[in-house]
Amino acid sequence: MSAVATFLTSTIGRKVLMALTGILLILFLVTHLAANLLILVDAEAYNAYSHALISNPLIYIAEAGLIALFVAHFASGILIYAQGRAARPSSYKDDRWAGGTSKKSFSSSTMILSGAFFLLFVPLHVWGFKFGTYYDAGNGIRDLHRLVVEEFQNPLLVAFYVVGMAILGLHMWHAFGSAFESLGVTQRDTLRRTGNVIAVVLAGGFMIIPLAIFFLGGGQ
Amino acid sequence: MENMTLNLRIWRQASDSDSGELVDYTVRNVSPDMSFLEVLDVVNDDIVKSGNEPVAYDYDCREGICGSCSLVINGVAHGPREATTACQLFMRHFSDGDTITVEPWRAKAFPVVKDLVVDRSAFDRIQAAGGYVSFDTGGACDANEILVPKEAADAAMDAAACIGCGACVAACKNASAELFVGAKVTQFALLPQGQGERDRRVLAMVEQMQEEGFGPCSNEGECQAVCPKEISVAHIQTLHREYTRASMRRIFGAG
Ligand code: HEM
Ligand code: FES
Repeated sequence: MSAVATFLTSTIGRKVLMALTGILLILFLVTHLAANLLILVDAEAYNAYSHALISNPLIYIAEAGLIALFVAHFASGILIYAQGRAARPSSYKDDRWAGGTSKKSFSSSTMILSGAFFLLFVPLHVWGFKFGTYYDAGNGIRDLHRLVVEEFQNPLLVAFYVVGMAILGLHMWHAFGSAFESLGVTQRDTLRRTGNVIAVVLAGGFMIIPLAIFFLGGGQ
Repeated sequence: MENMTLNLRIWRQASDSDSGELVDYTVRNVSPDMSFLEVLDVVNDDIVKSGNEPVAYDYDCREGICGSCSLVINGVAHGPREATTACQLFMRHFSDGDTITVEPWRAKAFPVVKDLVVDRSAFDRIQAAGGYVSFDTGGACDANEILVPKEAADAAMDAAACIGCGACVAACKNASAELFVGAKVTQFALLPQGQGERDRRVLAMVEQMQEEGFGPCSNEGECQAVCPKEISVAHIQTLHREYTRASMRRIFGAG
């Protein structure tokens, strides 16, 4: 096996890959949230922003990159989960958390489930918005704002997004600190606290959009 | 404190191929000053008197330094006390009438030999893969001949405190050995004598760790919480840096 393959298929290399792809996905989510909050502020600015994005040919490279990050992340996530299960074939009859300095949590214990949810969520989300109804805002600009506001009149869809973003927060609660630890950073308590703030800000920030549109009508 | 009556639920398993089960034993007259292993001795006395097979469990020093004892007590490796091996766990931390579950370390890499005894030779094979300095360091030189920064000496000493009991593996949901391997790698990586074989050591030890069937690290840190020597997960982070560095040096032809 080549030295590169040995590294990438090692338990540690796989975690380094998970951490790097995970951190880049979080960075994407931060920019995605910042841009989407424009929906609540200024419809025209939001449409102009999304037009600028999709009219740039580099968007295809960026999209391919995002897909690659996502696939690499969840593929290694599933492999890591499977390896962990294989290493503990018989389970404890009495299994308790150690407490003390341990950072084991509901979040860390459900990473595979919260992660798997995004395999469902992301395709539905892209299908609903990117490939949703095309409204023209004039001048060849897509009125994406109108689509978002229309979609979020549906209480079921609002509920799906609120629950979905809670699950995102659940993944992030453990993910952020864990990623930097996988990369060898030792400031554990600081990382965990930062991760918890990021989890709440990301999940809460994304939740505000459907909730504000549904209850307040959303910045027309 | 009065003597206690305890209800022990002990894992009995004839061999690795046997499926095993929890068996209930009642022990009376347990003094709060007894250690957990002494209670098992009393249980075994009773079992032997009734003509049955005593419970097999590992021990040697009974003073918390050899790393032989290996019991999961009430779902936690080495039991409820922090920084304490099972042999140093005293019964004053339990109350009269308690039901206490006792299980072996559970990991694919630690097959059960019998009852509570598991085969931990996987750790020896990881050590043998690189956990030493192989070149001749010559005769004893003056203590200050090779200068070691105080911080590095202290950190290496902390890593060297690992007694190799395997509680980290037992506590981890992935049965990962990274706390153990991290401690063994760090101990040398920080010292001048460890530099010559730094890359080779971490690559070989990690490879052996995987071959033995230990799982990956999910950064929960149950290992540090149960470690009787309070080995820090910082050693896992060091292991990740050391392994990544050595791999990159190999990939780019420097190692
Ligand atoms: C919104 C997209 C996602 C982001 C931003 C994200 C981010 C992260 C980060 C930063 C980590 C920490 C990595 C580490 O511990 O080194 C992580 C862990 C994990 N992710 Fe994701 N993730 C996402 C989607 C997914 C998906 C689709 C799966 C698919 C099953 C998944 C499964 C996992 C698992 C299982 C872990 C824990 C690995 C372990 O046990 O150590 N994630 N994620
Ligand atoms: S018997 Fe030696 S550490 Fe417990």
